[in-house]
Amino acid sequence: MADVQTTNQSILVVGGGMSGITSALEAAEAGYDVVLVEKNPYLGGRVAQLYQYFPKLCPPNCGLEINFRRMRQNSKIRFFTMAEVANISGSEGNYNVTIKLSPRYVNDKCTCCGKCSDACEAEIDNTFNFGMDKIKAAYLPHEFAFPMRYVIDPSIVETEDGKKCQEVCEYGAIELDMAESTFDLNVGAVVWAAGWNPYEAEKIDYYGFGEYPNVITNVMMERMASPNGPTQGKILRPSDGKEVKNIAFIQCAGSRDENHLPYCSGICCLASMKQATYVRERHPDCDISIFFIDIRALDRLEDFYTKVQEDEKIQFIKSKIANISEDEATGNLLLEGENTRTGEQLRMTFDMAVLATGMVPNKIDIAGAPEVAADEYGFVINDPEKAGIYGAGCVRRPTDVASSVADATSSAFKAIQSIARR
Amino acid sequence: MDKKTAVYICTGCGIGDALNVEQLLEEGTEEFTIDVSKDHPCLCGVEGVEVIKKDIADEGINTVIIGACSYRVNYDVFNFGPDVIVERVNLREQVAWVMPPEDENTQELAEDNLRMGCSKAKDTQLPEPFKAEEEYSKDVLVVGGGIAGMTAALETAKAGYKAILVEKEDKLGGFLGKMKQSVTMPYKELADTGAAEMIAAVEAEEKIKVYTSSTVEKISGGPGIFSVDIKNNGNAVNERAGAVVQATGWVPYDANKLDHLGYGKFKDVITNVEMEEMAAAGKITRPSDGSPVKNVLFIQCAGSRDPEHLPYCSSVCCLVSMKQATYVKEQDPEAVNYVLYKDVRTVGQAEDFYRKAQQDGNIFIRGAATEVGEAGGKLFVEADDELLGENVKIEDLDLVVLAVGMVPASKPAVTPRIKAPADAENADEEGMIEVLPDSGFFANSALNLAYRQGPELPTLKYGFPDSHFICFPYETRRTGIYSAGCVKRPMETAKALDDAAGAAMKAVQCSELTAVGKAVHPRSGDMTYPEFNMNRCTQCKRCTEECPFGAINEDEKANPLPNPTRCRRCGVCMGACPERIISFKNYSVGMIGNMIKSVNVPEEDEEKPRVICLICENDALPALDMAGIKRMKWSPYVRFVQMRCLGSMNLVWIADSLSRGIDGILLMGCRHGDDYQCHFVKGSELANTRLSKVSETLDRLALESERVKFVEVGITDYEKIPKIIDDFMETIEEVGPNPYKGW
Amino acid sequence: MENKMGYNASFAEEVFRNVDSGDEIKMCMNCGVCAASCPLREHMDYPPRQIFSLIRAGKREEVLGSQSIMLCTSCYTCVVKCPRSIPVMDVMHGLAHYALKKGYTPRIEAARFGKEFWNQVYRRGRVDERDLAQRAYFAGGFWEGVKKILEFADVGIKLVLHRRMKLIPEKKIKGISTLRKMLDKAEMLDKGRSVQ
Repeated sequence: MADVQTTNQSILVVGGGMSGITSALEAAEAGYDVVLVEKNPYLGGRVAQLYQYFPKLCPPNCGLEINFRRMRQNSKIRFFTMAEVANISGSEGNYNVTIKLSPRYVNDKCTCCGKCSDACEAEIDNTFNFGMDKIKAAYLPHEFAFPMRYVIDPSIVETEDGKKCQEVCEYGAIELDMAESTFDLNVGAVVWAAGWNPYEAEKIDYYGFGEYPNVITNVMMERMASPNGPTQGKILRPSDGKEVKNIAFIQCAGSRDENHLPYCSGICCLASMKQATYVRERHPDCDISIFFIDIRALDRLEDFYTKVQEDEKIQFIKSKIANISEDEATGNLLLEGENTRTGEQLRMTFDMAVLATGMVPNKIDIAGAPEVAADEYGFVINDPEKAGIYGAGCVRRPTDVASSVADATSSAFKAIQSIARR
Repeated sequence: MDKKTAVYICTGCGIGDALNVEQLLEEGTEEFTIDVSKDHPCLCGVEGVEVIKKDIADEGINTVIIGACSYRVNYDVFNFGPDVIVERVNLREQVAWVMPPEDENTQELAEDNLRMGCSKAKDTQLPEPFKAEEEYSKDVLVVGGGIAGMTAALETAKAGYKAILVEKEDKLGGFLGKMKQSVTMPYKELADTGAAEMIAAVEAEEKIKVYTSSTVEKISGGPGIFSVDIKNNGNAVNERAGAVVQATGWVPYDANKLDHLGYGKFKDVITNVEMEEMAAAGKITRPSDGSPVKNVLFIQCAGSRDPEHLPYCSSVCCLVSMKQATYVKEQDPEAVNYVLYKDVRTVGQAEDFYRKAQQDGNIFIRGAATEVGEAGGKLFVEADDELLGENVKIEDLDLVVLAVGMVPASKPAVTPRIKAPADAENADEEGMIEVLPDSGFFANSALNLAYRQGPELPTLKYGFPDSHFICFPYETRRTGIYSAGCVKRPMETAKALDDAAGAAMKAVQCSELTAVGKAVHPRSGDMTYPEFNMNRCTQCKRCTEECPFGAINEDEKANPLPNPTRCRRCGVCMGACPERIISFKNYSVGMIGNMIKSVNVPEEDEEKPRVICLICENDALPALDMAGIKRMKWSPYVRFVQMRCLGSMNLVWIADSLSRGIDGILLMGCRHGDDYQCHFVKGSELANTRLSKVSETLDRLALESERVKFVEVGITDYEKIPKIIDDFMETIEEVGPNPYKGW
Repeated sequence: MENKMGYNASFAEEVFRNVDSGDEIKMCMNCGVCAASCPLREHMDYPPRQIFSLIRAGKREEVLGSQSIMLCTSCYTCVVKCPRSIPVMDVMHGLAHYALKKGYTPRIEAARFGKEFWNQVYRRGRVDERDLAQRAYFAGGFWEGVKKILEFADVGIKLVLHRRMKLIPEKKIKGISTLRKMLDKAEMLDKGRSVQ
């Protein structure tokens, strides 16, 4: 049972990704009590899974580390991982919220020594790496995990493995009988920063994702390029582990498509260009083709586009890819499209294809929750008429990290205003 | 304060197996006054913490040294309140997990680490937050009364704070006020600009004081205690503010530079701003003869995305042209609009408005204009149509609209020149040199800061006073001054609203933190601040020049005048000072020097080199932790000393270390240069520059230059750390032991 | 008149107004997915996307005289994939119909091709690319057929290599009789609209 006292002067932030962390910190540093809940066993959300940011090609952990330090020294913030909102009722200035905590089976005595993981034999799919590799069922979600504490997967709780983990722990940190629990909060405002999910690439059936192993998504590419990813940073074909000699990036895989996501996901052009630089850095001989409809590099991000265009190994081809087929013998992929600059029909073979899948917002989906305005795509609209619950970051529009942070800062202020009005 | 010090060693997590703890407690604390020393099998557990708490309560312990895991974990467990100094000594990630157990070198490493911790704890004082003599203000000064400025003021007021809004025109509104309609969320149809309502709301809000026809003549002081001189219709007014939002907007790119597109040559070639004003005024007609328009062509990226003009994308022009095409169609449904574009950039849900513009029958042509001309009283445009692969001609045009881009109001038309430093290479005949954008002397007048480092916010290369950080978009180089809206980067109205609210949030937060003597980002909450021992100051100006945030002014005799509320606590001034007169309560030249001195230097014949690694706590130190968690191995001869920022590195530490026999100095800091990652902007770069002067010291001591090395270490570079260390140790082995050992 | 293509919105307006589903082309964003998904793209002088571009550019002759608009076999692939939900197929049929009405006659190859395509679907329930090409090419006589085959040899080899065309004849699909009933019905319903 969580021991947390809040009042209608407090702010609840839902989602511990970049936007949620930012909203929580900005409000707390202005002197407000904040409770942050995150459903994963660690904070950091999607950015924690990225290898680098565009356009600076710098590691996201750098900024996260600063934010975690801000959080460590600020007693105004309480945060809960493996926590979700089960219920919200009330109105601006006075919400009653029930938070559900899923069992971690590891308590706060964990010193992160790693002995449970050594003792555990069972392995599970590594969701942090989108299932591209396996991890022990007693695991640290990733090296920079904050809070730095192990997790026991529910699948081993009642097995020998679970017992072994418990026996080997010298600190009594493993509690296999830990159960789901809930606690209630009273808050004055809510910031909804639940982030986004990548569009389900299987739904674009003509790209063969899930069927052809060498078709991957852009989020998988980030893990693959990360030194702590499934391939230790090497960009290898999933089918045979071969180093890539030519690779295709397929833009608007789902986005700008009325059959899938009618909106533009805003970041994918730059993400693919960034990933092209990953490939170039590791495999200088690899040829890279980026297939696009329009290149959308707003403001100074245009500089990055200019820089990437200067690389002679990277070509931009204006074509929406219409089909991918696989050569079963080699695992190579045949891409078909129309080069709309030349009118030529394209048939190009690649070792690997990366689908630039778009963003799907995690909208407020809690039975009985107060109505929050959303557009037809599920993005939250901060309607001044329905103040009190505010979207922040990619739940409002598909956007990059800097804009999400700016937006999260503004949402923190809106939450403060809700409290000031009471 | 009278210190009562206790040392606790945790023997859990393999520490007890790797080390002789009894010997560690003895040797590691020998030279220090320690009142209590204990070990515990699990110090972070409830019983372990209870032991410490009991000693604090019963023995009056007020200084606690904990030899256990990294300070980055269990920070909450080992927090005993504001009156107890806690010093963490890393025996786990940097010792037990990475060094061979029960080894002499491992033991010596642990002992040195503990000695350094004891030394630091001895020199650490509890912080006494800064309190200015002046009365603090929490009001927000907003400069610029357009959409961003008005929003910043309104949002501030809604949160219960006061705002002062200064606008140079005689009425509020900025470009928003000049627009007929706007395109904004949810991007289905044109929307009312809302300018009139917003202006009315600002004027009706009693928490907002509006100054129109006014300019900011001078801002002095610092966050919490800004004194603002405003010239209001010729009268001088003074206001006080806690923080500032600069929302001075943009100006259209000068279309006179676009004569290749017919501007200035043909009356019916106009800019999108002129088009908007014409539409807002009533009817869109041909400027040449006032006749109605039937065929209109929009040329996108007129100047933008062009290395000859504006290399960046102005972000809004696609939507603006689609909006104006809608005006044309609304006026005459039979009219035809052509849009000549490079890429259609309607990101996010704005794609819906592109669809609307297509649905309206506007004709989009992907390509670049090659000629704009006139024939028979009508305009024509020739263009390379990328999708037809032909040069095409669009004739019979009544109006050609150039979608000119946004230039930040801060960008000077002509780059100012200043007197060049003596060693400058590209100075002109008069010894003058162009000011760089990241200088406070570059931007157009808006704030007029009475700062030694210039009157305006430093900008990025195109003149935008934007943050260089992705994670921290409100970071500026002047504490408590935040930019918002299109002065910061080209942005559409929907984004400007959010951006301005965020800037107001930062402004209010800065006032709140400053009022209680706390630092703002990135060391938010830090209650220490630099104190100057002026008796020994030699007026060398290094601190006033190097402070990345322009915190230190100068008097006419070049004495530094610190402004603690502007300070970000990076310690760059402390590192810069050759006289060592700048100190924080828990971080000073003497303290780090003493820590280094507490490291035992074995005799030469023991063949145990000693290297000091000054390591940035923001990125390199967490990376080292990661290397520890991954159980990587490296030399046991390196002693890590944590820096707030490598920019706080003082050369005296290097000189002192080398003169007492330390064999080498390794510096680990953040990436610098164009894509710098230093959280204090200039710290890492300054450390590197300072290092170029270390050769003097080395020459004086007749030592090899290889003994001192700077490496950039990013937070995810942990895989590289063992190799960096091993390579350096190899170098040290090659140059041989430091001859000053035992002196 | 200069030897330069002149954009002229009047043809676009004509198409928007007079051609069945003609105004749908307004939504085209030139992604090219229709062209690349068309099974007959190798045989078209202009793929659908280019037809739409030409309409917007005002190239009346090229569009109404093109054989592409006559070739569409209603396979629906482009319609299903079009990110702007343009009923490409309907537009192509509409244009074909409009062209015929305006006195344009389909070039002989297109008519033969269409007929052969239909026959094959009727016979086997699927299209045999090799057989289709062969029959279409030879329909005009032996020598013309040889010439055509040589002309398209590269395309054919590529199709084979990419396994888009098989060398052995395709088999009938299961349930061909049901399909034939559907096709008969469709033909009946569509009488008067078919371009054949």
